[in-house]
Amino acid sequence: MLEVAGLAAGYLGESVIDEIDIEVRTGEAVAIVGSNGAGKTTLFRTIAGLLPAMRGRVVLDGKELTRRPAHRIARLGIAYVPAERHLFPAMTLKSNLVLGAYPKRPDRATLELVYDLFPRLKERQRQQAGTLSGGEQQMLAVGRALMARPRLLMLDEPTTGLAPKIAQIAFEALEGLKQEGMTLLIAEQQVPLALSVADRGYVLENGRIRLSGTSEELDQNPEVRRAYLGVV
Amino acid sequence: MARTRSIGWAVLPIVVVAAILAILPSIWFGDSPYTTSLAVQALVFAAYGVGFNLIFGSTNQLFLCVGALAGIGGYGAVILTDETSLPMGAGIVVGTAFAALVGGLLSWISVRRSLGIIFTGIVTLVFSLAFANLLLGQREYTGSETGLVVTAAADRLADDHVGGYYLFAALLVVFLLVFRALQLSHVGWAFRALRDDEVAAELAGVDVARYRIYAATLGSAMIGLTGALLAYSAGFISPATYSFDRVDVRVLVLVAFGGLGTLLGPVIGAGVFAILDEQLTTSLELREVLYGVFVLVIFLGFRRGVVATVVSLYDRLMAGRRRKPILESPGD
Amino acid sequence: MTAVVLDGIVLGLAFGLLGVGMTLVYGLGGVLNLAYGQMVVLAAIVVMLVMEDDVATFLAALAGVLAVAGVAVLLDLTLMRAVYREHGEERTLLGLLLTLGVAFVIAGLLTWRYPSGALYIFIGGDPVSILGVPMARGSIWASVIALLVAAVLLLFFGLTTFGRGVRSIIQDETGARLVGINPSFVRTVIFALSGALAGIVAITQSMSGPLTVNAGFELTTFALIVTVVGGLGSVAGAFLAGVLLGVVNTLSAHYIGQYITTIILLGAAALTILIRPRGLLGR
Repeated sequence: MLEVAGLAAGYLGESVIDEIDIEVRTGEAVAIVGSNGAGKTTLFRTIAGLLPAMRGRVVLDGKELTRRPAHRIARLGIAYVPAERHLFPAMTLKSNLVLGAYPKRPDRATLELVYDLFPRLKERQRQQAGTLSGGEQQMLAVGRALMARPRLLMLDEPTTGLAPKIAQIAFEALEGLKQEGMTLLIAEQQVPLALSVADRGYVLENGRIRLSGTSEELDQNPEVRRAYLGVV
Repeated sequence: MARTRSIGWAVLPIVVVAAILAILPSIWFGDSPYTTSLAVQALVFAAYGVGFNLIFGSTNQLFLCVGALAGIGGYGAVILTDETSLPMGAGIVVGTAFAALVGGLLSWISVRRSLGIIFTGIVTLVFSLAFANLLLGQREYTGSETGLVVTAAADRLADDHVGGYYLFAALLVVFLLVFRALQLSHVGWAFRALRDDEVAAELAGVDVARYRIYAATLGSAMIGLTGALLAYSAGFISPATYSFDRVDVRVLVLVAFGGLGTLLGPVIGAGVFAILDEQLTTSLELREVLYGVFVLVIFLGFRRGVVATVVSLYDRLMAGRRRKPILESPGD
Repeated sequence: MTAVVLDGIVLGLAFGLLGVGMTLVYGLGGVLNLAYGQMVVLAAIVVMLVMEDDVATFLAALAGVLAVAGVAVLLDLTLMRAVYREHGEERTLLGLLLTLGVAFVIAGLLTWRYPSGALYIFIGGDPVSILGVPMARGSIWASVIALLVAAVLLLFFGLTTFGRGVRSIIQDETGARLVGINPSFVRTVIFALSGALAGIVAITQSMSGPLTVNAGFELTTFALIVTVVGGLGSVAGAFLAGVLLGVVNTLSAHYIGQYITTIILLGAAALTILIRPRGLLGR
């Protein structure tokens, strides 16, 4: 579904990531793992259109996404949940969700789906998004992304700032989404967690793909284990 | 920032300006009092500009109250000398001091409340307009719209137009020297640092707040001094002399045109606008239109001002050699 | 006293309308449109010219509103593009300078061509009694129009998808882009809307008294004060601030004096910035 070829991107003329080749097939869950500063966020921002690519291509089902503006890419079916979430703090939780479906009017069925997935959101739907807890905001961010019925859901470090228990619940929800057939692309520092949901993974280091393979392969890989085991 | 060898280079542009200003009357003025007053006006605005440059160009504080500060200098001085029997000198000192105080206070408030550019701009704009209204309202002291005849003005100062020219030329050169000295000192370094990245500067040990207040106080003093001298040399002042549209808008545009934060920016800006004024002696309204068009064209084109553009051209020409550019524009 | 307060409310509603146009543009893009007052004057002159051709007042008003909205779109597609390409303080400064330039151009052209231009839409008829105070019909009309516009705007921004989209950009532009909202397009639409509002202000102002060709700078100043006090980016805030300041204005002008009144209004803006920078209803 998603093909990234030879992608390079960065800031102020310097490339932070380079020669990135990634593939995500329909229905798959793919993990991008790497430590802080490896370039995961830069990669995601480039795919989502928030950062213009310097070289390379991003293609979604044959459609060229490279260097298109973020709102176009969002409408073409990629929903990106950034680490900072970027919610609308002065609007109610429900309004945030409703806007997720922009420019279409919110679909009742989809809204119910999101509420089923995250019952807490339904409880607090009239609350202002800025007053929610970290975990609830994360749920809201994911819910908002889902409202657009995306082809591909990208999540950047979904467990940031979440207590381990909540992080676990978050990944269970993601597992649930995957079961429903959603295609996922997840960037995570917490390798074991990421590999538990993902079918395949790529290891990003210093802006380049170091390793790739199925999640079992990566899990067994001594380099990966040595470098990241213990990073919880 | 080398010391002795560079001092010659550092002062060179000012020397050149001083030389030009010295011979200008003989080559350009003829006997026309109109041209002389145009030149004086340009010098006044250049002087305002150097002060404004110190406040905004160097420390990013958008003070939209240049006119008001000049007015404090002017009216402060004149009211003092008219009401008491103190000499002109006292008036000038007091006026300048008041202006410096007010400027410093505004900066202090802006720093304490962490106002950004826009809010500082609005607060100072509000102050400007309020001051104008104050002048209009306090008829007893200020004569309101009809203005104030400066009785304490030394006759020799008021009637001698060319004398006025040299007075302001000297003032401008002094201001430029002060500005240059600051630019090349550790203060100038601090200014560049805080303009570049405030947080980084703070972390590097630059007391951003203090430098801002100092810059504002000094810049306001310059503006106030100019305003006071203007009052005495013109012999007559009214709120219009120091109004926002007459002063602030013009200063902002000409300094930005010449190059914010640069040494010669205000001089070049004032010079160009003086020439523009001379050419566009037609209707006032059309002049306004042309200013507007000028502003638009300039800021859509040479964003960083003439000086910076010239400097970068010069630098590119000198790309092979390892010479330091003569016209140093800090931190752009 | 009631008469003074009612006059204040009439003035306040006009202030509010004036503030909305400016506050929206600032909230969305961080640009203070210093040419706003001139846009109002431009609309007034257009209406004046059209009315000279014996066109019905309503059509003339429509012409004025559309004309200024059109000019706004033109400005947005040309100048504002350059401004939005910058960020942060660069954008603020460039926005100030460019809109200032535009203000000069419009002001200069209009005062040069129509030095004594003024628009006065006279509404005949006996004064209507409101709460025992005889109010000129023109004022009543002006207030009703302003209230209607306020209601429409509040409904629009509160309930429609596009309106919600606008609010979302003000709150988090990146988030808005991620849900598929095009901030550029929205900014153009809103800029056009602010132009249309300027036109409506021209109409309502001229119903209460002649709106002259020189009123530009003063109008911009009032718009700025209302915007700051109401809260940058808040429509409801602009109206609330407008009405409050309008009442303060007339009360002060009536009981104290003209110059002090202006100082008080200016002081309100400064005070807001110093004590509660987000304004009455801003975020």
